[in-house]
Amino acid sequence: MNVKFLNPFLEAASEVLKAEVGTVASRGELSLQISALTSDDVTVLIHLVGQVYGVVLYCMPKETGLKMVSSILGQDIEEMNSLAQSGVAELGNVITGAATVKFSQSGFEANISPPMVIVGKGVQVSTLDFPRIVVPLNTDLGCLTVHLALRESVPGKNNNPEDFVPLAIDPSARIS
Amino acid sequence: MNVKFLNPFVEAAYEVLKTETGQEIARGDLRLENGVYVTDDATVILSLVGAVEGTVFYSMNNETAMKMASLMMGESFDSFGYLAQSGIAELGNMITGRASMKLSDAGYESTISTPSLIMGKGASISTLDFPRLVVPLNTAAGPFMIHLALRQGTTTLKTPQMAIPRAFEASQQG
Repeated sequence: MNVKFLNPFLEAASEVLKAEVGTVASRGELSLQISALTSDDVTVLIHLVGQVYGVVLYCMPKETGLKMVSSILGQDIEEMNSLAQSGVAELGNVITGAATVKFSQSGFEANISPPMVIVGKGVQVSTLDFPRIVVPLNTDLGCLTVHLALRESVPGKNNNPEDFVPLAIDPSARIS
Repeated sequence: MNVKFLNPFVEAAYEVLKTETGQEIARGDLRLENGVYVTDDATVILSLVGAVEGTVFYSMNNETAMKMASLMMGESFDSFGYLAQSGIAELGNMITGRASMKLSDAGYESTISTPSLIMGKGASISTLDFPRLVVPLNTAAGPFMIHLALRQGTTTLKTPQMAIPRAFEASQQG
């Protein structure tokens, strides 16, 4: 994971949280994780493909998700129903989209996938050989944790399965 | 979900699974699901971006995952550890990669993401407004399900198709 991909995300996240949710985010302590992420109540998963390649996860407790969605939609949402899920997915989508615009300005083109929402505590989400930078964003509505498992890619290669790096490798050999 | 995206995935899965397990694959009945997907023990998630966009899940139970990894790597796994996890994620990667080549031959150019692996039963994953086409396959290792939540994309790729080439990886490591 390249640290230069971190700031565009943090800027995008605080801009979007301010504009959409109306809350100020303060950054908690960064950490680097290699083991699988154990999901919180709500996790939004978005893939990036392009010169920046990998996955971004936004994790939050249910209450935080509901409060944020209520604030975005301007009405009280009390259940993590399909409306609330589409709200948190959209929040992740907007943050990731804004971050890719910033990447593009610094010369890294990337496309983002449609968001997915994982609801359910305690399942493990593994990004395999992509270590994750974990940034907790504290807001007055609760904590939104951003996990970035990204790396730079090389353009112009074909999408042959043979081109892919085999993932079945010794993890200790990779992280040094 | 456009059904013309189905066959490339089914063909790719047949080819890859047959090579990896060394045995014939049988297909069960297709179905379309609108609700959330409730996770099985192991789920590989990949996204496609481009002329075809959306998400593909490959789901299986623990037993199938371990047998499949054992068959792929020629060593016996009795727990779903890192190596077995990588094997299963790589399987999803290979099937999706091959399917995207077939889609590209049919005129739908798209790029695939890295695989993510979800472990743990009972969480629900929503693909929001994408309905899922579910293809159950019976393999020598056990039942293996493909979930396709795809639609014709509107995004023009800003970059050509890419994968991470081995040579680049080697240079990064070296």
